[in-house]
Amino acid sequence: MRLERNVLLIALTVALLAPLAVHNDYVVHIGVNVLFSVILATSFNLIVGYVGEFPLGHTAFFGIGAYTAALLSVCFALPFQVTVITAAFVAALFGLAIGAVTLRLRGPFFVIVTLCFAEVLRLIANNWIDLTNGPMGVSGIAMPAWATSGSILQQKVAFYYAGLLLAALSIFISYRFVYSNVGRAAIAVRENRFVAQSLGIWPFYLGLVTFVLAAAIAGAAGGFYAHYFTYVGPEVFDFSFMITMIIMVLVGGKGTLVGPVVGAFIVVMLDVYLRDFKELRFSIFGLLVIAVVIFLPRGLMGFISRRHETYHREKPGDA
Amino acid sequence: MGLFLQLLANGIVLGTFYALSALGLTLVFGLMRVVNFAHGELYVVGGLIGWALTAVLGLNFFLALAIVVIVLGIAGYLIDRLLIAWVRGEGEEPTILLTIGLSIFIANTALLIVGTTPQTVLSPFLSKPLFLGPVVITQSRLVLVGLCVALIVGTYFLVQKTTLGRAMRATFQDPMAAQLAGIRTAHIYGFTFALGAALAGAAGMLLGSIYVVQVTIGGVISLKAFVIVILGGMGSFAGAIVGGLILGVVEALWGGYVATGYVDAIGFALVIVMLLVRPYGLFGKRVERA
Repeated sequence: MRLERNVLLIALTVALLAPLAVHNDYVVHIGVNVLFSVILATSFNLIVGYVGEFPLGHTAFFGIGAYTAALLSVCFALPFQVTVITAAFVAALFGLAIGAVTLRLRGPFFVIVTLCFAEVLRLIANNWIDLTNGPMGVSGIAMPAWATSGSILQQKVAFYYAGLLLAALSIFISYRFVYSNVGRAAIAVRENRFVAQSLGIWPFYLGLVTFVLAAAIAGAAGGFYAHYFTYVGPEVFDFSFMITMIIMVLVGGKGTLVGPVVGAFIVVMLDVYLRDFKELRFSIFGLLVIAVVIFLPRGLMGFISRRHETYHREKPGDA
Repeated sequence: MGLFLQLLANGIVLGTFYALSALGLTLVFGLMRVVNFAHGELYVVGGLIGWALTAVLGLNFFLALAIVVIVLGIAGYLIDRLLIAWVRGEGEEPTILLTIGLSIFIANTALLIVGTTPQTVLSPFLSKPLFLGPVVITQSRLVLVGLCVALIVGTYFLVQKTTLGRAMRATFQDPMAAQLAGIRTAHIYGFTFALGAALAGAAGMLLGSIYVVQVTIGGVISLKAFVIVILGGMGSFAGAIVGGLILGVVEALWGGYVATGYVDAIGFALVIVMLLVRPYGLFGKRVERA
């Protein structure tokens, strides 16, 4: 817990100071991508790591958030703060509805049904042309006022800090959640459902609370995405977002709060450096998932924290 | 009435194809408890090899089908022995993740090699329409339905009547006891996965001669197969067939009477309703273990 908090605080400090050293808008753009990925990965990790189920349709909430923010901004010209908060709220409502259905199921059933929901939403985004403009998507989403002044670099830096605020907020909420009674109960359920039930914990309710929180965070990420790229199309429900979320959380280590941050950083960097290979990088990602499942089942952070624990245990033994 | 019969016939044809494409998935789940998320990608690989052999190299259709079955079988055996064996006995989640990784790898590697162009497997069957009373059906579809039924029946006999099939079922029921009885379970797991992969590949090639084979459809195929398997009950042989027929008929009727835009969503809606009403499917057995 202490290690986790300190690492997160150091990461926050580095992230706060980073733009002072960087004067290249492409690098800042990568920074914004990292932060956006951190938010998504944190949200996905809440379910994978703390409920212990695998929501393969998590893009549903991201997509709903993105569309909500896009439509509110284009149709009603609402400002950034309002659309992002509404996006989170609407995604949370969907999370409540979808979670109430899917959390009755476990294992492969849960995986497949969440995927079904995302697929249905993608079909709706493609076919309900009056609302979503179909495959053309919603374009011309307004950038917030604070991000339209100054040079491109200044605009990107403004977005960077907005993203940092959102990322820090979502990690802070997750942190408070995970170390609250509800979070501890959720971990108990993940570790042994039957023992937890015998202690009077209601797994369905815990799962639902976590699910709604994760959905809200993913929705906020969607809202941020909509304003940053000023365009939202049905591809927000694409499986490629899912792939990157899976890899970020698995590589970093599920069930830890630092894991998704590390994973998001690694994946975005890999993405940048493998850009020359374009299509090949997804093949590499596939191999990476296989390798992590086989050789590093708890991810990088799981590996490090285990080393950390044994180090602490060995020291008194030596004396 | 004529329209209804026509739609029903279309639905049954489609349903038979669905049943075949879901058979490998339900077999692997029923016998190995592995949820194979790479099923759709194996289907695509089968279709693409079939296309390469018939359209590019000009081989005979049935020879190509035999090669597809053998190649996919070997690939499936290797996938099990080299990858899935690592996480055997660690529960469902690692195998789910492993096969998701595998599907990402296969899909994108195939994309690099073949590109996104839709391809068609060349078949010797004609697309000449046949008139059976009020129902019109093309000759090639009728032949393919026959082939599908033959493959399904063949698989049934393989699992139920042969020594290999008995060893598979024994291994699933109790791996330890099967091992004590002299069954080499590691091989049996390999063969089971090989059978699942070969069935996926055969389905891909057969259906690739009517529809198109495209790298990007793997995910949709997997999803449809899951829908069918959930409708019928995970791991149930009869369930896959009934589930396939139900999905085919419902999709055909919905497409004919209501609207074509949301046809693909019907299956998902059915699954969501089914899981709420009967979570273990029509033919599934209720299992809950600590």
